[in-house]
Amino acid sequence: MVDTFKPQSLQEAVDVLSDKGAILFAGGTDLMVQRRRRGGLIPDFDRPVILIGHLKELKEISNSTREIRIGSCCTYTALLSHKAVPEILKTCVSQIASPGIRNRGTIGGNICNASPAGDTLPVLYALDASVILARDNKERVLPIEKFIKGPGTTVLEADELLTRIIIPHSSFNKFFYKKVGTRAYNALSKISFTGLALKKLRAVEDVRIAFGAVSPTVVRSKDIEAQIRGKDIDAIQKMIPEILSHYSKLIDPISDQRSNRRYRKTVSLNLLNSFLKNYML
Amino acid sequence: MKNKISSSVSRIDTPEKTGGKASYIADIKLEGMLHAKTLRSERARARIKAINCPNLPEGYFIIDRQDIPGKNSVKMLIDDQPFFADGIVNYIGEPILLAVGPEKETVNWIIENTEVEYEDILPIFSVDEAKDPAKPPIFQKNNIFAEYEIRKGNPEKAFEGSHRVFEKEYRTGYQEHIYLEPQGVIGTYDDGRVTVYGSMQCPYYVKTALIHGLGWNEDMIRVVQTTTGGAFGGKEDYPSIIAGHAVFAALKTNRPVRLVFDRAEDIQSTTKRHPSIIKIKTALDSKGTIIGMNVDITLDGGAYCGLSPVVLQRAMFVSTGAYNIPNVLVRGKVLATNNVPSGAFRGFGAPQAIFAIEMHLNSLAENLKMDPLDLKKKYLLKKGDPTVTGGKLREDVKMPRMISLLEDISGYRKKKASFHKKNARDLRGIGISLFLHGCAFTGSGERDKIKAKVKLRKEDDGKVSILVSNVDMGQGPQTTLRKIVSKILGIPFSQVLYDNPDTDRVPDSGPTVASRTVMIVGYLLSRAAEKLKTEGKTEVTEEYIQPPYIEWDQENFIGDAYPVYSWGANAVEVSIDPDTYEIKVESVWGVYDVGTPIDEQIVYGQIEGGISQGLGYATIEVMESREGGLMQRSMTDYIIASSVDFPGAEKRLIENYYDYGPFGAKCAGELPFVGVAPALAAAVQNAIGVPIEKLPVTPEYLLEAAEGGN
Repeated sequence: MVDTFKPQSLQEAVDVLSDKGAILFAGGTDLMVQRRRRGGLIPDFDRPVILIGHLKELKEISNSTREIRIGSCCTYTALLSHKAVPEILKTCVSQIASPGIRNRGTIGGNICNASPAGDTLPVLYALDASVILARDNKERVLPIEKFIKGPGTTVLEADELLTRIIIPHSSFNKFFYKKVGTRAYNALSKISFTGLALKKLRAVEDVRIAFGAVSPTVVRSKDIEAQIRGKDIDAIQKMIPEILSHYSKLIDPISDQRSNRRYRKTVSLNLLNSFLKNYML
Repeated sequence: MKNKISSSVSRIDTPEKTGGKASYIADIKLEGMLHAKTLRSERARARIKAINCPNLPEGYFIIDRQDIPGKNSVKMLIDDQPFFADGIVNYIGEPILLAVGPEKETVNWIIENTEVEYEDILPIFSVDEAKDPAKPPIFQKNNIFAEYEIRKGNPEKAFEGSHRVFEKEYRTGYQEHIYLEPQGVIGTYDDGRVTVYGSMQCPYYVKTALIHGLGWNEDMIRVVQTTTGGAFGGKEDYPSIIAGHAVFAALKTNRPVRLVFDRAEDIQSTTKRHPSIIKIKTALDSKGTIIGMNVDITLDGGAYCGLSPVVLQRAMFVSTGAYNIPNVLVRGKVLATNNVPSGAFRGFGAPQAIFAIEMHLNSLAENLKMDPLDLKKKYLLKKGDPTVTGGKLREDVKMPRMISLLEDISGYRKKKASFHKKNARDLRGIGISLFLHGCAFTGSGERDKIKAKVKLRKEDDGKVSILVSNVDMGQGPQTTLRKIVSKILGIPFSQVLYDNPDTDRVPDSGPTVASRTVMIVGYLLSRAAEKLKTEGKTEVTEEYIQPPYIEWDQENFIGDAYPVYSWGANAVEVSIDPDTYEIKVESVWGVYDVGTPIDEQIVYGQIEGGISQGLGYATIEVMESREGGLMQRSMTDYIIASSVDFPGAEKRLIENYYDYGPFGAKCAGELPFVGVAPALAAAVQNAIGVPIEKLPVTPEYLLEAAEGGN
């Protein structure tokens, strides 16, 4: 058996963490699966566990003129019912798992789990989200793409805790989010596509494009977005083959028990093509 | 006019099942009960050189082949499968030994710390490799579990005289049952007798296997079915293996022993639907009329024979579908591979064969510039026609009426025409399948092999007990068999008792398989009830008598392959995402002839379930074996339909009285599964204009089909 701590405040959680180097347990929807054992045996937690899912400080959502700050232990359900949460994130979250899992699973957990198929990640990349990491007396802020290192790995130190997610306000009037799962509901992603654009008259003033589950981490290219930004819609239509070919070099999927490389790559580009051709108009 | 028995009643098992009160095998705890866990092979094919177990704590035991008093082989058709590996393992997941003891943690520790030293043998992973003489055979000299041929007319002559030949190949994949309740049994040993409690379809199959495994007299063996949470064929033969394990353990430890699988273990080690490769060649004359057909069926049987020969027979007997095709040659074989054994699954070989013939005729129709339905109608079997085995269809075939009803409710013709004018991003399609299912055992199997016996007994309190060995695994006989008996006796439904079968109490009325329970066992019960009513006895036993019209030559497969058929027609409408190739099932329709439905709601339940399971088989249920190991080993990766994946079906029943079924009932359990996949595939073919020749129809497959190989 391992020790389990249920701190009463964020400060206490940070204190215990710096002491014990423990496993942080928010909603537990990934941990209980990763650490389960077969045949009715209890899950295998090999280090002390700190429960943080109940901490009020980590469940707050605050909105300012510049940005929205989301506590790491906000459940998916909480995100869906808050009016300041960006629509594209809600669209994405509403397609994660099942109601029961959405009632327990947290946005911070989805980020720290750093699965290549983590559904909130491409949307957070596209929205230029950052994360706040707290440790004893100190905080640091990192853009999400700097936080996630690879499949299942982040730069989170053993004594650090992800407290908040910052999403700067931005305005878009074209949205395309598509999750390709193994079935219509309660499924893991084979591919996800996030496309956002701000179109004024014929010009595309801002654009964000991100792909999930098709590379070790989310695929987003600020360079390619910069080439599209500010262009006239007709010019962009002419650029499509070139844009597709740029992204084709970045998308590097695997074949596994859920799909194969060819499908993931082709369909990613089909979705991008569809976004540029059909949704941006 | 609707038969009165068909009016639905509340299912008798609903309150305890929906209320969480039903006691499944994992809920049962006996005094002093020990837990068991199985050590399984991690190699697809190897010789076991040594097994090194850790020192066992007191009260813990290893049970292996040395602990089997009788024969180390599971009684089935050819008894090639051992209870515990006998020096050689033939598939990943094959049981080698059990660890048994009071604490699950310690039992688990023993298994995790037992090392097996293997010496690999050249493995066989596919039916192609099974034919390779360079690989040492798994089974006998040629790896063939069974090989048959049937002929009708003169196929050679038809092909010689043909104007042209239309040829295609079809492939289908694994399907896993995912019954809600995984496999489980408890074995006990008391006063020189063993008892097995368990989740199962066929208590007497289990009993027979134990007689052989123990080498004991049948009086010393008792098998009791516990409330069973789904089976679909997966609990036809497999429980015999684990019943043996639990009983051998109980004998050695002198304590009750429970062996219950978790989902991963169940998926990894239990039987699956047979993967198939089916080649069909059709001989056409100069007018495009079908004058002959060759069907060649190959099934992957996996490591052990199991029920594979009978599965193959059923596939062959419906290989020309619902059609009267002249001059047919059907060849079939099941081959041994080092994959998990294939076994019984709702439809039992028919779904693979019906998929192949339906898709073949769809493509042939397109080739002939006809609507598939018009082509199929031309060849539909009708009363008096010869079947593929040369039997004579004696029943009234109501298919023309069923088809026209289906066309009506689905709007097939109109949709077919309008979907033609679609643009490249509006991919919609509609498809139809026509099918039949042979009811109960093959030919004279009911008479020669099963010899069913049922009993009705008047109890002291005036209630009447149904004594049969058939089980309710969710399909409803607790309700339907009671209805049959209570209706004839003219007593209230609640006055009829029907406990879970216990071989000490009930005669052998045969296995709960082949959609036979209502038609065969229900009919025997109806006759017993008539006698109980008129002859004033307190107990009536009724034995199976073959309907006089059946003629069957089991050696040469000539005659009436089944006593009678149930019939069906499905339509499916789909739309396909032009970017992702995801298939959305928009609507499903079904029209069925199951004789007289004994309870409409229960038959509708079978239809909805069959359609959902059939659409899953057709689309999202992907299971692949890579070097003998299954790629999808959890319910996260092996996907079955959720309630939002597929729409509910619009369904109709056409009554068609059968003289040798209770109140005219025929078979209903498997039929609704059989035609779903080909209707779905036909709709997809219609939507994207590419022939569908493989199941499941995944988006990955569609991408390759639409954009060409790579």
